[in-house]
Amino acid sequence: MSKVILIGSPNSGKSLLFNRLTGLSQKVANFPGITVDVATGKLTGAPELSLMDFPGTYSLQPISGEERVATEYFTRALDDPEVSQVLCLVDITRLEKSLYFTLQVVRECARHGKRVLVVANMMDVLKRHDMSVDLQGLAADIGAPILPISARTGEGLETVVAELRNSSAEVRNNPALVETPDALLRGNAHQLAHKYGPRGDLLVKTQARLDAFFLHSALGGFAFFGIMFLLFQSIFTWAAPAMDAVEAGLGALADWLVPMIGPQLAKDFTSDAIFSGIGAFLVFVPQIFVLTFVIGLLEDSGYMARAALICHKPLRLFGLTGKSFIPMLSGVACAIPGIYAARSVDSPKKRLLTYMAIPLMPCSARLPVYTLLIAAFIPNTTALGGLVGLQGLAMFCTYFFGMFTGLIVTGLVSRTREDHYTDLPFVLEMPPYRLPALPPLLRNCWNRCRHFITKAGAIIFTVTVVVWFLGYFPNYGADLGESWLGQIGRVVEPLFDPLGLDWRYGVAIMTSFLAREVFVGTLGTMFGIEGADENMVPLVDQIQASGLPLASGVALLFFFAIALMCVSTLAILARESGSYRLAVKLFLAYGAMAYLGAIGVFQLVSLFSG
Amino acid sequence: MSTSLWSLRAGDRGRITGFDDALAETYRIRLMELGFHPGETVACLQAPAFGAPKVFRVSNTVFSLDNEVATHINVETDAA
Repeated sequence: MSKVILIGSPNSGKSLLFNRLTGLSQKVANFPGITVDVATGKLTGAPELSLMDFPGTYSLQPISGEERVATEYFTRALDDPEVSQVLCLVDITRLEKSLYFTLQVVRECARHGKRVLVVANMMDVLKRHDMSVDLQGLAADIGAPILPISARTGEGLETVVAELRNSSAEVRNNPALVETPDALLRGNAHQLAHKYGPRGDLLVKTQARLDAFFLHSALGGFAFFGIMFLLFQSIFTWAAPAMDAVEAGLGALADWLVPMIGPQLAKDFTSDAIFSGIGAFLVFVPQIFVLTFVIGLLEDSGYMARAALICHKPLRLFGLTGKSFIPMLSGVACAIPGIYAARSVDSPKKRLLTYMAIPLMPCSARLPVYTLLIAAFIPNTTALGGLVGLQGLAMFCTYFFGMFTGLIVTGLVSRTREDHYTDLPFVLEMPPYRLPALPPLLRNCWNRCRHFITKAGAIIFTVTVVVWFLGYFPNYGADLGESWLGQIGRVVEPLFDPLGLDWRYGVAIMTSFLAREVFVGTLGTMFGIEGADENMVPLVDQIQASGLPLASGVALLFFFAIALMCVSTLAILARESGSYRLAVKLFLAYGAMAYLGAIGVFQLVSLFSG
Repeated sequence: MSTSLWSLRAGDRGRITGFDDALAETYRIRLMELGFHPGETVACLQAPAFGAPKVFRVSNTVFSLDNEVATHINVETDAA
């Protein structure tokens, strides 16, 4: 099969063109640097040709690690004998930012003897403004044929496909270009942009008006908080019914299937290991779908670049960028969609720092643990004449403690790294506001969910089955305390002793590696209470009656706020960052920080509470 | 009047005269690749409060630049 490379600068409509030409699922984003992976698809109407969507860069002269990877990948692909042609996309309305890149691509194709076709996108915008560009003249000057298209309306795409299929077309490259250095190309591009670029104002007035609102010092702030509130609601509240439905559906399926299974061991394995294992990762799917959809809307509409601008200054203090805000905010609901959202952070260093901050955001799985511990240890009284409830205040402080720690960690790490002062400067293109196209957006949501199920599902499922196995044997689920897990709990009890906790809490902490909220249910089982995760009151009474000191409660709160114990987060962190080492390092570092910090907190509170 | 791009306020325009030496060569080249060429006219469209990055227009493209970059781009304005 013959391969065709599709390449172009960010925001030139490349992903939309790829979707149009292949009908395949590929993210169409209105935000620089969104195409991270190289997507491939068969050309519609020409299945013998395979189209490869390359990452968008502004130049083949890279200034960041990410760009270096993209450009090296491109030049290597040109050496591939299967690559026959290159489709280079130009935004005809903004020639000055894409012509230098185009000339570089044409030169590289000439060097490698590959045929290059330049496609001039956004012709519909030119027409709407009654403007035109001398494409023939421009084609003659750059030494490559130019085809006018509109990726949005589909105009001109048939000609592009026909040209690509025209295998008899000879490769006519400009030999003079082969030896032209970058500096000269840059000058040429600047002159050509002036000579051929559309004369007149192509900026839609609504863009200026919308920017005046969204970037207004006061109104823009309100709009930002309103939009972020909706985003937060979407993952916290709107996804909840679908998550409940997944749980209920799996529960109903288990209720129907399990009675038909013979031996008790097989029954227990199916219901508690298989169904719990599948449920442990399937339950996240609605949240990932909803968040991907909302973030996609923000990206495709052009608002994401504005949000990054608004958040940039405060986050820069902590070594992050404005683009880190959405992933971190998503992490407050759940770290997994947050880690996926970090793809939009284009600086590799800042993306790494964002990955470090996300697990410290107070995710929703921590909420039941906080609720239990606060109900058990903080008196249900009010202060300041009934205005402030102590339990609510404790919850607020615990939540903000996690966020604050995340920022402190990234601030410290960014300052201790050698490359602190050599990071990419903040230069972000503000794309025009556009109405998002729904079908590619929905396809992208589906792809993201499929990626999660196939990549992280197996790991989460395996760990769930292993923990079930340890908790079930050797007494066949009769008593968790006497199981291998219980025995391990007793062995590691000295570890929890400095926190004033006995082995039962140790077992509950170990099972919370599946998901933090499992801590509550397991602790209920250890205290002989059924359904503690649904109704915490009896468990709260038991914990209070057991005489566990306040210092242990606060130490546990501290531990849960810091420790990265969620196996799903670790699995997806390793997959997304491409580094299992990073996941292991963060697990160990946050584990040590949580444990040692909790000992310190225990000692401190013991000192003051007598 | 010669000043830096960062000092432009919303609605101001200026002509790029060059870059100061503190800006690394690679960033200078990237800015030129994006259209910030000496001789080009730049307009400041938005200057949000609290030192947030400002929004500039060069030709038909809009970019947001923070002070770390924009202070190193020299512009000539009409103001006395």
